Amino acid sequence: MQQCWREQRYVALDLETSGLDPRVDQVLAVGWIVVEPPLLDYGQARYAVVQQQPDLKQSPVVHGLLQRDFRAAEDAQFVLQHLAEVLENAVLVCHHVGFDWQFLSAFAKAHNVRLKPLAKFDTLTFEAQRLRMQQHHLARGSLKLAACRQRYGLPDYQAHQALTDAIACGELFLAQAYHYAGRANVSLRNLLSYN
Amino acid sequence: MQPDLSELTRFLQDCPPFDVLDSSQLDWLAPRCKAVYLNEHNVDTLFAQHSPALFIVRSGAFDLFTPEHQLIERLESHDLFGFPSLLTGRAVVNTLEVVEDGIVFLISDDDFAALRQQHRGFEQYFIRAHEQRLLSQQSMTTQFSGGSASSRKRDTSDGLQQLLGQVLTRTPVVLPSTATIQQAAQRMRDEKVSSILVVDDATLVGILTDRDLRNRVVAQGLDFNLHINAVMTQAPATLTARQSLLDALTLMAQENIHHVPVLDPESARPLGMLTNTDLMKQQRSEPVMLIGALNKARSTAALIREAQQVPDYLHTFALRVADAAAVGRVLASLTDTMTRKLIHFYEQEHGVAPAAYVWLAFGSQGREDQTLSSDQDNGLLLADGLNAEQHAWFAGLGEFVCEGLAACGIPKCPGNIMASNPECRLSLQGWLERFQRWTSAPTPKALMYCQIFFDSRNVMGSKRLYQRYRERVAELGRSEFFLGNLARLQARVQVPLGLFNRFRGTETGKDSDWIDIKRYGIALVNDIVRVYSLHAGITAPRTLERLALLQKSRLLSAKDNQALADVWQFLTQLRLQHQLQVWGTEAPKNALDPDALGPLARRQLKSAFGILKNAQQGVSLKFGKTG
Repeated sequence: MQQCWREQRYVALDLETSGLDPRVDQVLAVGWIVVEPPLLDYGQARYAVVQQQPDLKQSPVVHGLLQRDFRAAEDAQFVLQHLAEVLENAVLVCHHVGFDWQFLSAFAKAHNVRLKPLAKFDTLTFEAQRLRMQQHHLARGSLKLAACRQRYGLPDYQAHQALTDAIACGELFLAQAYHYAGRANVSLRNLLSYN
Repeated sequence: MQPDLSELTRFLQDCPPFDVLDSSQLDWLAPRCKAVYLNEHNVDTLFAQHSPALFIVRSGAFDLFTPEHQLIERLESHDLFGFPSLLTGRAVVNTLEVVEDGIVFLISDDDFAALRQQHRGFEQYFIRAHEQRLLSQQSMTTQFSGGSASSRKRDTSDGLQQLLGQVLTRTPVVLPSTATIQQAAQRMRDEKVSSILVVDDATLVGILTDRDLRNRVVAQGLDFNLHINAVMTQAPATLTARQSLLDALTLMAQENIHHVPVLDPESARPLGMLTNTDLMKQQRSEPVMLIGALNKARSTAALIREAQQVPDYLHTFALRVADAAAVGRVLASLTDTMTRKLIHFYEQEHGVAPAAYVWLAFGSQGREDQTLSSDQDNGLLLADGLNAEQHAWFAGLGEFVCEGLAACGIPKCPGNIMASNPECRLSLQGWLERFQRWTSAPTPKALMYCQIFFDSRNVMGSKRLYQRYRERVAELGRSEFFLGNLARLQARVQVPLGLFNRFRGTETGKDSDWIDIKRYGIALVNDIVRVYSLHAGITAPRTLERLALLQKSRLLSAKDNQALADVWQFLTQLRLQHQLQVWGTEAPKNALDPDALGPLARRQLKSAFGILKNAQQGVSLKFGKTG
């Protein structure tokens, strides 16, 4: 944690869920990409549909996922084990990490997998703090992923599925961290203190 | 499940040359990419930590500078950079500055090479980009580096590449040939122009200039009420809107004219007049300046003084110009201009020519692929039946001009193919007899001569005489027996590729593993294309022009035609690059060490030689059996 934030490994992650309540709703798919500042490594990116029989609540399409995608779903435990390895000694980065982590930890627990990220970083909270410190009024919708990205001049992405959003989140994280730390050897602990 | 990287693959599809890759190749590539968030805090370590690599800008804006801090280009979304260092294997020395933070994709050296091997279109793009860009943006004293290849913008850094259609600004000033001289003069006064286009029924029939009014009307005391068709220049040289300012420059320098009508390429309708003032607007352009300076020289001494500037200016031009072929054409135009000035000085001293003649340019000057180390190849075509005195005048001319050109920095021809040699100063009959002898009894030496003499241009003198000569020579060149011999001769040139596709050195002594890319490359393309051209009766001397004219040939497929053009351009570029590197040293001008090339250039050179080997066999099969 005392190490410079740039020496650290991060995993930017996004979930697709069937709803907003981790107690009743399911994780449908997961996407992540490994970030080693200043790089996002597309070779260490993964996307997996993890529910074969989702509760779709009568909706034929969730997050653009169709029945045939679910038929091709992967074994959840296998995917979670892979994620556990990737998260070893890495910082989990999400846009609204509290939400994703609630789903993820419940999901992992149900499959007897332990996820132990070194720490968690929330690009949403970080952005909210930053804007508040600059005395900005936080307009409705101003903390959405796309809106945050826009403030850093990051491109608009068309697709909204877990991996694209994970990549978008990873890029946002790099933009935030570089803007905050500049050239200085800011420690990971320091960076996380804004969460 | 394969991760769905559709955001990335869609972007790449939109980003030439990746658009030529199919979806399975893109799916292969996407997970091999990395993305960097590039900003002012990490930009200075980008090249040190991540090159060699191909960089593709996804978002943001970055300025690329030379080591001397000259701005090369602003890089924005979809622009590529860093690949010159992949091509040359050398370290990047250019620097980037961040204008706006953004995402830049990286493709590794190995993956880039793999794609090039897999996909010819992809490879072709970089061969072309290499040709077009490599020399345009780097200084010779520093190493090749992270110059950029913008994937969407065409390089317009040199104004001479502009098309004439874009250069013409005003509507054409037109009169019918039945207008009177006075009407023409009034019109020119009212429109404030120095020339008019004479057009009947939407067809250009002539041009009339200020100078014509002075020389042909006032000086002759002609009646102003005569029709202008009596004094205009009939059937003037023309250009089309699709040709470039460089084409205009070479034409105007070669024909020594100041006004050229520009026609619609399809309908031949006149679009406007290009004047040398239009060219002078390209003030930054060294060729325009040099030709202007040479033309202004009032004595041989002054001409030689101006000619000494040529190498330095041309060096600057060559470093900037996008197209290596332009350098050869400009050099040929400069040599033409020097030649005409020298002929003019000789006439001032010894009176005007006593008979019709043509000053012929052969070899590289004829083909317009001259380099700074090319030596003279010229001759004189004389009217038949001259007396001894007239011969003596032309002997003096040949001597004077060849000496003058040598003093201007164009070395004398070791093979004595020069107008100072009586063997190269022949009447129409004399030349035709020589060609007849060469084509019917082709000794190795005769064939070697043919390779020089069949690439000719009229530098100065009688157009009619030259045309008669050229047509008759073309007829002799179509002999199957002769073409068979030429085909066998070109087949004897050993392409420098050995077992397992390794380079084989062509030189002797300590540099025995070096390769002469002129003799075993460019000259071989010229030889191959010449055989096809002779067979087709083409009299144009430029190799690329010949290939363009051969596009409908049934003997040479469109694909092979394109491949030969690519090889010629690649080798010409490589030679120019090499010559700029060895500039001012004693190192060989045409031979280079293949091991000193970057991995990509090596691969390109091998593939160029591979293409040549096949083309050579093609010529042997098609022409080599007869004769």
